[in-house]
Amino acid sequence: MTAALWALVGVPAVAGAALLLSGRRADAVAAPCAVGALALALAASAAAAVTRPGTAVPMLAGVPAGLAVDGLSAVAVLTVSAVALAVVLFATAEIGADQARGRFFGLMLLFTAAMLTAVTATNLFTLLAAWEVMGALSYALIGYWWKEAFRVRSATLAFVTTRAGDLGLYLAAGAALAGGAEGLRLSGLAALEGGWRDAAVAGVVLAALGKSAQLPFSFWLSRAMAGPSPVSALLHSATMVAAGAYLLLRSEPALAATGWAGPVLAWTGAATALALGAVALHQSRLKQLLAASTASHMGFVVLAAGAGGVGGGMLHFTAHAAAKSSLFLCAGAWLAALGTQELRDLRGAARRVPWTGAAFTVGALTVAGLPPLPLWTAKDETLAAAQQLGPALYATGLAASAVSAAYAARVLAVVWSPVRGEGARPGPGRPDAAEAVPLAALAAAAVGLGAMALPPVSRWWHVLLGAAEEPGPTAGGTALSGLLVASVAGVTAWAVVRERTAPLPGRRLLAGWLGLEAVARALVVRPVVVLARALAAFDDRVVAGGVRGGVRAAASLSGGLAVLDDRVLARGVRSCAGLVARAASLAGRRGEAGADGAVRSVVSGTRVLASWALRPQTGLLHQYYVQAVVALVVLAAVVVLLR
Amino acid sequence: MTDPLSLLPELVMALAAVGALLLGSWTPRERQGRVRLLVVAALLAALAAALAAAAAPPSGSGGYTVDTVTHAVRVTVIAGTLATVLLAADSPASHPRASEFHVLSLLAALGTVALAGADDLLVLAAAYLLASIPLYALVGFAKDGTGTEAALKVYLLGALAGILLLTGTALLLGAGGTTGYAGLADALPGAPRALVGTGAVAVLAGLLFKAGGVPVHFWVPDVAQGAPAPVAAFVTTVPKVGALAALYRLADGVLPGSAPDWAVLFAILAAASMTLGNLAAFLQTDARRLLGYSTVSQAGYLLMAAAAGGAELARPGLLFYLGAYAAANLGAFAVVCALGTRTLEDHRGLFRDRPWLALSLVVCLLGFVGTPPTAVFVGKLILFAAALEAGLGWLMVVAAVNTLASLFYYLRWVLPLFSSPEEAGARQRGAAPWSTGVAVAAAAVSLGAGIAAGPVLALL
Repeated sequence: MTAALWALVGVPAVAGAALLLSGRRADAVAAPCAVGALALALAASAAAAVTRPGTAVPMLAGVPAGLAVDGLSAVAVLTVSAVALAVVLFATAEIGADQARGRFFGLMLLFTAAMLTAVTATNLFTLLAAWEVMGALSYALIGYWWKEAFRVRSATLAFVTTRAGDLGLYLAAGAALAGGAEGLRLSGLAALEGGWRDAAVAGVVLAALGKSAQLPFSFWLSRAMAGPSPVSALLHSATMVAAGAYLLLRSEPALAATGWAGPVLAWTGAATALALGAVALHQSRLKQLLAASTASHMGFVVLAAGAGGVGGGMLHFTAHAAAKSSLFLCAGAWLAALGTQELRDLRGAARRVPWTGAAFTVGALTVAGLPPLPLWTAKDETLAAAQQLGPALYATGLAASAVSAAYAARVLAVVWSPVRGEGARPGPGRPDAAEAVPLAALAAAAVGLGAMALPPVSRWWHVLLGAAEEPGPTAGGTALSGLLVASVAGVTAWAVVRERTAPLPGRRLLAGWLGLEAVARALVVRPVVVLARALAAFDDRVVAGGVRGGVRAAASLSGGLAVLDDRVLARGVRSCAGLVARAASLAGRRGEAGADGAVRSVVSGTRVLASWALRPQTGLLHQYYVQAVVALVVLAAVVVLLR
Repeated sequence: MTDPLSLLPELVMALAAVGALLLGSWTPRERQGRVRLLVVAALLAALAAALAAAAAPPSGSGGYTVDTVTHAVRVTVIAGTLATVLLAADSPASHPRASEFHVLSLLAALGTVALAGADDLLVLAAAYLLASIPLYALVGFAKDGTGTEAALKVYLLGALAGILLLTGTALLLGAGGTTGYAGLADALPGAPRALVGTGAVAVLAGLLFKAGGVPVHFWVPDVAQGAPAPVAAFVTTVPKVGALAALYRLADGVLPGSAPDWAVLFAILAAASMTLGNLAAFLQTDARRLLGYSTVSQAGYLLMAAAAGGAELARPGLLFYLGAYAAANLGAFAVVCALGTRTLEDHRGLFRDRPWLALSLVVCLLGFVGTPPTAVFVGKLILFAAALEAGLGWLMVVAAVNTLASLFYYLRWVLPLFSSPEEAGARQRGAAPWSTGVAVAAAAVSLGAGIAAGPVLALL
C-alpha cells in the first residue's frame, strides 16, 4: 500500500504546485481543488494508518528519501490531514473570490504536503527537505496580504527566527553523517557514538524548540498572527509549531539515551507552558491570546517528550490540534463579522451565532483541560511522567495547567457575557455550511478524544504508539488536577463576569510577550548587524578597493589597446613602435592615477600581461607576419632548448 | 577503410557540394531558394548518417580515423553549418551567388571534419587546404571594403600558416620517416630534438591559424567585424572545432613520447590566447569585434585540453566544450544577424522589444563566461579538472582569473539589454525569423546540454 503513502504526500503537493503555477487563472477552481485534494489526502492517510506502508527512493549516495507510517505517524497524518481539510473548507468562506485564491490554496496545499512529509519522514534528509519547505511556505502564508508592509515584516521575523532554529537540523544531519548513522535514519540517532549523538540530539532539540516557539524563541508566534486566520488555524495547531514537538516525540529514544536532553527539554517545556500561559492570560487581543496558549500547550508536549511520556504527549498533540484550530477559525469568523479581535469588543460575540459560540466553547473548555475532555487526560499522563523527574517539575506543570484553565475561562466568560448598552447586535443567524461543518467536526473530534480517559481505550492508544510501559496517572493525581482546573476556571469566570479582576504584577511584561523580541534584537540582531557592517566596510575599503583599482588599471590599459587598435585599423598605416610607446604611456598614466598603494602589485602584473596584448592588430600585414614568425620561432626555440 | 559506410557523412557533404553547384548553375537567379533546400536536406541527411555512424565501433586506416573525436566533431560541424545556412536564409533570397555561398560552406565544413579525422600529416595538410580556401572566398563574399580587407588578411595569414604546416610536415617526415601518426609516435622519440621541435611547432602554427589562437589569431577580429554576419558566425565557429580536435589528436597521440615538454608549450599557447583575447576584448564597442576577441580567448580555454593531453578528462571535456562553444557562439552571432546591429549600444532596451532574442543573447554570453547551468560551464569545469589532473595547476588559475575578468566585457553587453531605450537604435525592425529561431535554438541547446550534461558526457 505504498500508493496510499505516495498519494498522501503527492496529491496535495501536485495540486498545490499546479494552483501556484497557474496563478490567478486558477482562482475560480482553487477552492474546490484544494478541498478535493485534501479529502483525497485524508482518505489516503486513513488507508496508510491501517496498512502502515513504508517506502524509500534513492536520492543521495547511501541516503535514500524515506517515508513510512508507523503508529506515531499514523496518528500524526490523520490529525494533520483532517485539520487541514477542516481549515481549508472553512477558508473557502473566509478567503473571498476577490482575493488571490489560487495562491492561497496552493500555498496551503503545499504546506500541508510538506508537513505530511515531515511527519512520515524516516530519515534526517527527508525531514530536512520538508522542514525547509515548511519554513519557506510559512513565510509566504503569513505574508499572504503582502501589500501591507507590517505583515511582510512579521512574516520575515517569523521566518528568520524559525530559520535560526532550523540550523540545528543541519547540525544534527552533519553529526549523524559524521557519526555513521546508516542512511541518516532518525531511529539510528540513539545508537550513535558518544559525542556525535550529543551533537545530533542538541541539533534536533534546537530545531524543535525554534519551530515549536518554545522559550526563548516564542516571540515569533506573536508576530505570525499577522497572517489570515485560516493560516493561523493550520500553522499554529496541527502543523508548523506542532512539527517541532512531534519531532521530539519521534526522537524520544535518542533524547533518553543522552541523559541530559530529557531534563533540559522537560524544564524548557514546563517553563514555556507556565510563562506563555501567563502571557496568554494578559493578552487583550484574541488571536494573541490563542498564540500564547499554543506555545504554552506545545510546552506540555515538549515536557512530555522530555519526561518520556509519548502517549500523553501524542494525545496532547492531537487533541490540541482539533481544539486550537477551531478556536482560531472562530476568532477569524468574529474578526470578519465584527471587525475586531480586541477582547473587550468581543463581549457577547458567542451569543450572536450560537453555532460558532458552541464550537468556541468546546475548544476553550478542551484547552482549559476540564474533565472529561481529552487534554485533561493528556496533561495528567504528562504530569505523571514528569513526576519521575522530581516534584518541582510536577508542581510547575500543575501550575501551568491551572493558568491554562484561567485564561480559557476568562475568554469564555467574555464572549458569553451579555452585551450591555446599545443592546444585542443583530446576528446573521446561521453560518454557512462551509463554516459550520468544519467547526462541528473539529468540536466533535475534541469531545470524542475524551474517550482516551477510559482505561481500555487508553491501553489501545499506548500500544498503538509503542508506549505501553509508560506510567499511567494515579487516581489521586487525576482527581487533584481535575479539581484544580475546574475550580480555577470557575473562580476566573466568576471574577470576569463580576468584573472583580485586579491587575496582576508584571502585567506589562507579560502582555508584551516577556519582551522576548526586544531581547533577541538586542542580543542577536544588533551584534550581527554591527558585525556585518564592519565586514562590509572592510570589504569595501580593502578588498573591493584593491579589486576596483586592479579593474580600473586593466580597463585603462585595454582602453589604450582598443583605441590603438581601432585607430590603426581606420587609418591603415602607422609605425608600430611609436604606437606601442604611446599606448604604453597612456595606459601607464591612467593606471597610476587609478591605483593606490595596496593595488600597485596588481597593476604591475596586469601591465605585464597587457604589454603582450599591445603587440597585435597593427593593421599591417607585414607586421602580422613578423609577429607570427617571431613568436613561432621563439616557441620552437623554447621547445628545443627547454628540458 | 574496412567499412565505406563509416565515411557516409563526409560522402554526403561532398556530393551535396557538387550537387548544389550543379543545381545552382542550372537554376535562375531568382529561384536559388531550391539550392538552400537541397543543402539543408543534405546536411540533415549527413547529420543522421553521423549519428548512425557514431553507434559503430571505431575504425580507421589509411590516414583517417573514425572514433569518438571524429563523431563529435562531425555532429558539431554539421549542426553548425546547418545553423549558418539558416542564418543566411534571412538575407534577400535572390542573392545572385547564393548557391556559391552554400557550396563554399559545405566544402569548408567537409575540410573541417577531415581535419579532425586525419591521422596522417599529409591528410591533415589536404584537409587544411580544403577547410581554408573556401573561407577566403566566403569572407570576401559581399565584395565590400571591410570584407575585402578581411579576406586579404585571412588569405595572406592562411598562406603563411599553410606553408608552415607543409614545411613542418616535411621536417617531421625527415625526422620520423613517415607521416602517419602511429608511425611518428614510435619514431619521434629517437629523432633529433631540434628537428622534431621545429617541425612540430610549424605544424601547430597551421592548426593554430585555423583555431584562431595566438600567435596567428590576427585575422579573427577583422573577419568577425568585416565579413558578412553569417560568414563571420561560420568562420569563427566551425573551422575552430576541427582544428582544436586535430591539435588534441597531436598532443594526445603523436607528440608526448618525444623529448620536449609539449604540455608546457600548449599551456603557454592556451594561457597566451585566453589572456590576450580577454584583454583586447575589454573595451571594444563593436559587438562583432568583441565576439571575435572573445573567440580568441575561448580558443585559449579549449587549448587547455591539448595541454592536458594525457589526462583522462581532457577528451570528454574538449568535445563537450567544443559543442557548447559552437552553440553559444552561433547563438550570439545569430542575434547580431537578426538585428543587423554593429555596436553594443545598438542593443540598448532589446529586452523590451524582442525579449526572446535578448534572453537568448544573455544565455549565450553568460554561457561564454561559464555560468551554470549552461553547457560551457560544464565544459570549462571538466577542462579545469583535466588541467589539474595533468599537474598544470597554474594554467587552471590563469584560466579562472581570465574567466572572472571576461565577465566584465560580457556584462557590458548584457546590461544595456535591460535598460530602457533612450532613442530608437540602429536596429533592423524586420523580423528575421530564421536568425531568431537559430538564436533561440542555440540558447536552448546551451542550456539543455548544460542541464543534461551527465548523459551527454557518458557518450564522449
